[in-house]
Amino acid sequence: MPLPSLSYLIDPDEKDRIRLRLKNISKRFPGVLALDQVNFDLKVGEVHAICGENGAGKTTLMNILSGNLQPDEGSIFLHGDEVKITDPQEAQRQGIGIVYQEKSLVGNLSVADNIFAGNQPVSKWHLIDRRKLINQTQQLLRKLGMHDIDAHGRVDKLSPGKQQMVEIAKALSRDPQILILDEPTAAISEQDTKVLFKIVRLMVSQGKSVIYISHRMSEIFEVSDRVTVLKDGKYQNTLGTKDTNVNEIIRLMVGRDIKEFDYQNLSTSEVVLSVSELEGDRFKNISFQLHRSEILGFAGLVGAGRSEIAQSIFGVTPDTGGQVLIRGKKVKSNEVANAIENGLGYLPENRKEQGLFLEMSVEDNISSVKSNTQTRGIFIERKGNAALTEEFVRQLNIKTPSGKTKVVSLSGGNQQKIVLAKWLAVNPDILIVDEPTAGIDVGAKSEIYQLLNQLTMAGTSIIMISSDLPELLGICDRILVFRHGRITADLSREKFSEEEIMHYSSGTKDMYREKI
Amino acid sequence: MGPKHQIKIVLLFLASIFFVAQGCDPSKGAYTREQSSEVEVAKPVDENEEYVMVTTFVNFPMYVNHDQAAFLRWGKKMGVKTTVLGPTEWDVVAQIGVIEQVIPSKPAGLLINGTDPAIASAIDKAVDAGIPTVVYDSEIPNSKRHAFLGTDWYEIGQLQGEALVELIHGKGKIAYMGLVGQTNMENGFRGLLDVVKKYPGIEVLGKYDSKGSTENAAKITADLIAANPDLAGVCGFDAISGPGIGLAIKEAGKAGKIKVTTVDWEPEHLRLVREGVIDVLIGQKRELFTWYGAQFLYDMVHKTNQLSADDQKAGITNVPFAVNTGLLKITKDNIDLFDPSK
Amino acid sequence: MSFNSNIFQDRVVTLALTIVVLIVVSSIIWPQQFFSLENLSLVLLNLSIDAIVAVGMMILLISGAFDLSVGSVVAFAGGFAGYLMYYWGVYVPVAILAALAVSVVIGFVNGWLVAKVGINPLIQTLAMMGIVRGLALMVSGSGIQNLPDSFNRLGQAQFLGFQLPVWYMIAIVIIFSFLVARTIFFRRYYYIGGNEKAALLSGIQVGKMKIYSFILMSFLAGLAGIILASRLGAAMPTTGQGLELKVITAVILGGASLLGGQGKIVGALLGTLFMGIIANIMILARVSGYWQQIIFGIILIAAVAIDLLLQKRADRMATALVKMKQFEKFDT
Repeated sequence: MPLPSLSYLIDPDEKDRIRLRLKNISKRFPGVLALDQVNFDLKVGEVHAICGENGAGKTTLMNILSGNLQPDEGSIFLHGDEVKITDPQEAQRQGIGIVYQEKSLVGNLSVADNIFAGNQPVSKWHLIDRRKLINQTQQLLRKLGMHDIDAHGRVDKLSPGKQQMVEIAKALSRDPQILILDEPTAAISEQDTKVLFKIVRLMVSQGKSVIYISHRMSEIFEVSDRVTVLKDGKYQNTLGTKDTNVNEIIRLMVGRDIKEFDYQNLSTSEVVLSVSELEGDRFKNISFQLHRSEILGFAGLVGAGRSEIAQSIFGVTPDTGGQVLIRGKKVKSNEVANAIENGLGYLPENRKEQGLFLEMSVEDNISSVKSNTQTRGIFIERKGNAALTEEFVRQLNIKTPSGKTKVVSLSGGNQQKIVLAKWLAVNPDILIVDEPTAGIDVGAKSEIYQLLNQLTMAGTSIIMISSDLPELLGICDRILVFRHGRITADLSREKFSEEEIMHYSSGTKDMYREKI
Repeated sequence: MGPKHQIKIVLLFLASIFFVAQGCDPSKGAYTREQSSEVEVAKPVDENEEYVMVTTFVNFPMYVNHDQAAFLRWGKKMGVKTTVLGPTEWDVVAQIGVIEQVIPSKPAGLLINGTDPAIASAIDKAVDAGIPTVVYDSEIPNSKRHAFLGTDWYEIGQLQGEALVELIHGKGKIAYMGLVGQTNMENGFRGLLDVVKKYPGIEVLGKYDSKGSTENAAKITADLIAANPDLAGVCGFDAISGPGIGLAIKEAGKAGKIKVTTVDWEPEHLRLVREGVIDVLIGQKRELFTWYGAQFLYDMVHKTNQLSADDQKAGITNVPFAVNTGLLKITKDNIDLFDPSK
Repeated sequence: MSFNSNIFQDRVVTLALTIVVLIVVSSIIWPQQFFSLENLSLVLLNLSIDAIVAVGMMILLISGAFDLSVGSVVAFAGGFAGYLMYYWGVYVPVAILAALAVSVVIGFVNGWLVAKVGINPLIQTLAMMGIVRGLALMVSGSGIQNLPDSFNRLGQAQFLGFQLPVWYMIAIVIIFSFLVARTIFFRRYYYIGGNEKAALLSGIQVGKMKIYSFILMSFLAGLAGIILASRLGAAMPTTGQGLELKVITAVILGGASLLGGQGKIVGALLGTLFMGIIANIMILARVSGYWQQIIFGIILIAAVAIDLLLQKRADRMATALVKMKQFEKFDT
């Protein structure tokens, strides 16, 4: 939904005026031209999306705008005047605010302290005026529609999604004229996404401008006025969102058409995993079955307990009741090694915090599960691991200079493929994937869908936890909907739709409560 | 018991009392006296002649103010190079390392603080390398050191014990502290206990580890006072615990009521004696350790006294084998002589 | 082949280069005194105990933990073996085994409380440091001298110009370099130190592995204590005071990170070697005690700063290379 209806709020003279212009910006890293003569302009009162695959230069461009990097060539104009953005403080003074993908919050401080980090209101003794600080924070949160965030609360007690919202509030606390959002919805729930879009619309209605970076095409089409596409550091085109479509943009981004994912139902009647009456800290009475070659979706709002259930099945957290049978065999709980031995695999939600050994090589990462659980010998099988790595690098199209490269230097999509590869290496019967496509680009996403499909062809069963509803609808054979640690619906493919799932996950419908 | 102020300065053992042992029988003395003047001309002083002192805990004020000061003063007087080496913490293993690593640079003589019997093998290496080696402070038995100068820690303990017994009139609760585990301290503890055990009226509360920290000593003393309001006396064996003991007693308002004896006459100790917090100080004559120790080395190098046609071949050393420099006792009555500053 | 072969990224290489420079310069200044087999053998002898402990500390730091009780264990193991031999007349090998067994128990207690009860390693091993120091004082009092000759020979005999502790150190460094580089078991410590949560989710039994690492640490500290006692011919309760910080410093110099996941065993040796050579130079240069700490502090900061500068440059080159390679792949 574009926003023509809001334009009346802006002074007609102001509208269409260029607020920010980047002219022929180039940035060279030793041996690489990261940005090559890029042009970009941002109008007053518009949402301008930037698209491109990872490595296309979006991040470099944002770093130039936020003062973290200096361009080698080209100029930046603000309201027609050439400016130099020498450092992040200067960017702030020029009214540019940025919400980074990486968290910049301090976990053990309160929401208020984080939002006003560095510019807390002070009393006459130059001590922090706490009452004023809390008041200002509460006002800001209310204004932004973030009613459920407590200004006093510690940030690390919030879910990743709410933390992202605090991050956004922090950027807005300085009242920027230009707000840069980098993948803002990767970690937040549908509801918060709505809140965010409301904020964005409010901002443009006040004549401010937003640069919106996202991999999610649906969002770009919902919120932006124009789209600029970058590819390999080169400017491709700028299009009015109304005048284009998803396919055109993707073609510009990747230079080829992305194969549409074709759904196939491979699910069989053979039960491979049977969970009954599973209970834990944040969930109870969880019973379901997973069939061979089935892709079972776990839908629900962030915080519905889906990841906790997956981790309990995988033996990470001790379950406090119920049982898990794999092919009819009871699994010893509280022992990950045991779960892996029984053919389970778990791709965690947060790849950097739970899935990857960032400072270790691609090879060490890919072989991590296999060498620790399946290798019989004492010594590291260097040749075997190298061959394994080579095989997966080729098979999954992982873009890395070599198997010895540290994972930290690769892009999100490639990192995610590596986490996937470490599980594929042990050939699990059941693979639980938790937000497998969060924060990765369209190309890599589609590759991951293909891969999951191939796995089911080979007889693997998959549980897919995702907050991306279209993704679940596209790939799953069956979807379980969760709310507050309970299953509220078990929907087969014929029955599911986005509306239906939203009803069950927000509590307006409940399959089981009605029966009781 | 005699009156307290009878002895002003007690020189219990004079520097001139030499214990001649083992290799040196008295019979050789006569031969020496006759021959000494004619055999060899004394080696002239070379300005590159270097005497190295290896200690541990080199920045410890007592070592700096007494041992090292006297050694450096001696070097200046004699016109030779003097160097002080060693780790900055109490680290005997590191001291051993320094001794061993000094050997290849062949100093004229090595003056070693006898911190622990375990340094014996390092001393032997120096002696085997032909370097005159003198140990001071505590004896290193089983080592080949050429000479030793020091005090008898057992005696320090005895003296402290005798002084304390006198102060508390042979009855009451006492405690003592020092660096537990250090050989010389442990000998001192034994000396103390051997004296007090003769008095059935004295109850020994125990041995406490000051860990070389004033704060720690103060804390232990405060706890002792709290648990035993009738505490009669405390003995401190290391130079650091004295101020701690004094502080705790002052804070408890028991100065003069609880009798205190400690070892060594550091400025802080002297002040506490003046204030009447510490009653008796047993002092070592540390300056004499290193001054004469260095002099012994010099005399060995320069063959000042030749005892035979070839002392090395004869297997003898031309300096005293072991020297007890004696002790001194400081009380309120003679304090002015040691601390004229006021 | 890959950008990892960029040598300046490896602390082991930069430190080795620094040591070579130190050796060359010192050999020029003190040609006879420094550059001699005798001096080399003494330097190595005096760092052998530290290096053996540093091997264990390196493994702990790779896994993201450390142990402050090692110095006390060094004193206690030597004291306990000495006590058994001197007071009870226990047969030498039995006394050694018993002291090692007790060290292992200390390590197990550390590891179990850290891994299973969740006590912070700093607090746990700090407390253990005090407890074990007390035990060391109990068993060896003011020190135990006159240990059996057959025991003393283990630390005092010479072989090919070096005293035996040097050979023990070399053997331990070689064995553990090999094991840590090549075995799956020890590789797990890199995974745990790199990302503990991910290691757990990859099927590594993190708790058990932590216990093993503390046991190994204590075992090596105990072994070092026994070797030290036999080298000195005496067990001293005061040995190893401050050893923990010395060893942790050496190990971090040698490429470990307090955050875990990084380091090589040979780095532990190089770190202690670097500190040993500096100590040796200060003795040869007759640096007095007052200046030792100041100079040592400056050298330490300089060593780490130079290394960081080299690494930063290497890092920049590495990122550039990765980007370049990625672009190449996009193009093809």
